[in-house]
Amino acid sequence: MNISDGKRRFPWWHEAVLGVLLIALLITAGIVNPGFLNLRGQLLLSRHLWEFALLALPMTLIILTGGIDLSVGSAMGMCAVAFGMCYSSTGSVALSCLVCLLVGVAGGGVNGWLISRMNVHPLIVTLATYAAFRGLGEGLSQGESYSQFGEDFSEVARGMWGGVPIPAYLFGLLALGCALFLSRTPGGRYVYAIGHNEQAVRFSGVNVGRVKLLLYASSGLMAGLTTIIYVSRFDTAKADAGTGFELDVITAVVVGGTSIYGGRGNIGGTVLGLLLIHETRQFVSRQWQVDELKSIVVGLLLIGSLLLYRGMQVRNRE
Amino acid sequence: MSIMEQYGMRSNRGWSLTCLLAFSCLWGCSGGTESGPSTTSGGTEEKLTICLLPKIKGIAYFSSCAEGAREAADELGNVELIYDGPTDGDPKKQAEMIEQWTVEGVDVICVAPNAPDVVAGAMRDAQDAGIKVLTWDAEGVEGTRSFFVNQATSQAIGEGMVQAMVKDLGGPDVEGDVVIISSDATSANQNAWIDVMKPALEKTKLNLVTIKYPGENASNALADAQDVIKKYPNLKGIFGISSVSFPGAAEAVEQMGKSGEILVTGLSTPNEMKRFVRNGTVKSVVLWNTIDLGYLTVLAAESLAQGKLKPGDTAIQAGRLGEKPIAGDNILLGDILVFTADNIDQYDF
Repeated sequence: MNISDGKRRFPWWHEAVLGVLLIALLITAGIVNPGFLNLRGQLLLSRHLWEFALLALPMTLIILTGGIDLSVGSAMGMCAVAFGMCYSSTGSVALSCLVCLLVGVAGGGVNGWLISRMNVHPLIVTLATYAAFRGLGEGLSQGESYSQFGEDFSEVARGMWGGVPIPAYLFGLLALGCALFLSRTPGGRYVYAIGHNEQAVRFSGVNVGRVKLLLYASSGLMAGLTTIIYVSRFDTAKADAGTGFELDVITAVVVGGTSIYGGRGNIGGTVLGLLLIHETRQFVSRQWQVDELKSIVVGLLLIGSLLLYRGMQVRNRE
Repeated sequence: MSIMEQYGMRSNRGWSLTCLLAFSCLWGCSGGTESGPSTTSGGTEEKLTICLLPKIKGIAYFSSCAEGAREAADELGNVELIYDGPTDGDPKKQAEMIEQWTVEGVDVICVAPNAPDVVAGAMRDAQDAGIKVLTWDAEGVEGTRSFFVNQATSQAIGEGMVQAMVKDLGGPDVEGDVVIISSDATSANQNAWIDVMKPALEKTKLNLVTIKYPGENASNALADAQDVIKKYPNLKGIFGISSVSFPGAAEAVEQMGKSGEILVTGLSTPNEMKRFVRNGTVKSVVLWNTIDLGYLTVLAAESLAQGKLKPGDTAIQAGRLGEKPIAGDNILLGDILVFTADNIDQYDF
């Protein structure tokens, strides 16, 4: 019994497990293939990660409130088309970025408004906008793709500062911001509280609707920001941008230990979840050179982590 | 309390440990298996690693290319061939695969770009990292590759289609009207072929009456073919020069009961046209030998990596294909392959 009491007081169980798994993976990969741990290579390939990582930040907050945002990938498609159309008519990258962000906020705002004011379940609302945003992008662009935004713009995603990809700095800053917001501000406490018991938070006088509106709008804003990086990385803006991203992002958040029912989890876990998935994928595709295998292994990872957390949850209730 | 009781009886902690164990096993297994081709970058073996990236993995066309590529790799002996690509044809996945291979330090990457702009950045990075980059099957953005393995020149394709039509209709003295059903009016490949076909047709007694542009739309292609069949009573042949307009035109001729009266020829893969070849609507299907395309690509990649192939060369020794010409930086496979009722069943793609 002493042992279990000790366990209960240790608050970083999820993070510890993820950390151990990550280190185990890296050690194994390093033994099997020493080239895998090459720092430069790791940093270069991390460019495949940052877009998911950025989207995972607001997604963590939303899932903490017991909500979900299925529309982020589609919002990226819509933002990409807005970017492309703006660029092709004005030729200004800066203006296109601004439009891209605004469209993202607008899309997220629509989600937030429907969820908080109309009181519709986030799953339904964002499922609807998941289809609508993509459709809007495809309809407006007629499937056309916009390209050749110039060498300078492609540096946004492809460029390196001190050997580290530029989006990594952005992610670092924003992740730190989100973590501080969650742990140090009243807003962060509301996020957890809404996930635990929304009615109670409402009765205690917190404007739950406004918190949710802001969260979904910020998710939209992040979709816009991510789109800029994505468009820069592939030098192409098309309505299919971000297809399937929502599922990868949710996977990372859940593997990272955030409860899909809300109220439990943190940014650190999400970061570890992201890294674990990214490294696992890389290792699998490097080891076997079969692209499809990546999806299978990530699926197994998700199931494994859910079982793991369920086991731990049962234990905590004891 | 024994350890067994502590860890075994409590299902919850058991869960956690089981899962941890399962993960370790998963990774442990991978450690036990033979390591991938990436070990070559470690310098333990002297094998060349050549990556062949198709537009889409798992469709018959590219699988047949891969067959030829494997043949070349076996023949060369010093080549580790990696054939992998996106199963959904997503060019962004192509780009990420190129980036991954770049980091692994492979020797040559041969790309069939599905969207040249999307993969251009990754191809440039690969070149900057000292990796040789080729394109095959489809051209990339300028400056992203050293050679393009060009499956067939416009000249060979255009003339091949006209020759096939003349032969199928009964020889050089045959007279009558023909039409071309293309893709979009802006399709670069199709327009290049039309530019070759026009003068080639002028040398025959066939009369090109119109060119239709239904786009990449099957029902438009069918409707356009039906229109020309009604409009030109002396119509002898239809060229369907895209993968959509060829089956569309054949379908129209078949539906209107004109099989055998109006011949259709064009560019497509054999499996798609087998039905029409068997019922006589189509006598010749023009394409290139996709197996040879894969074969030549891998040979060119190996030559490039070994320094046997340099910019400015005008020919390359290509194994069982003999010597193949190089025009500028295009390595020409050159010959077209005509599928007829006699040989179409030998090809499965």
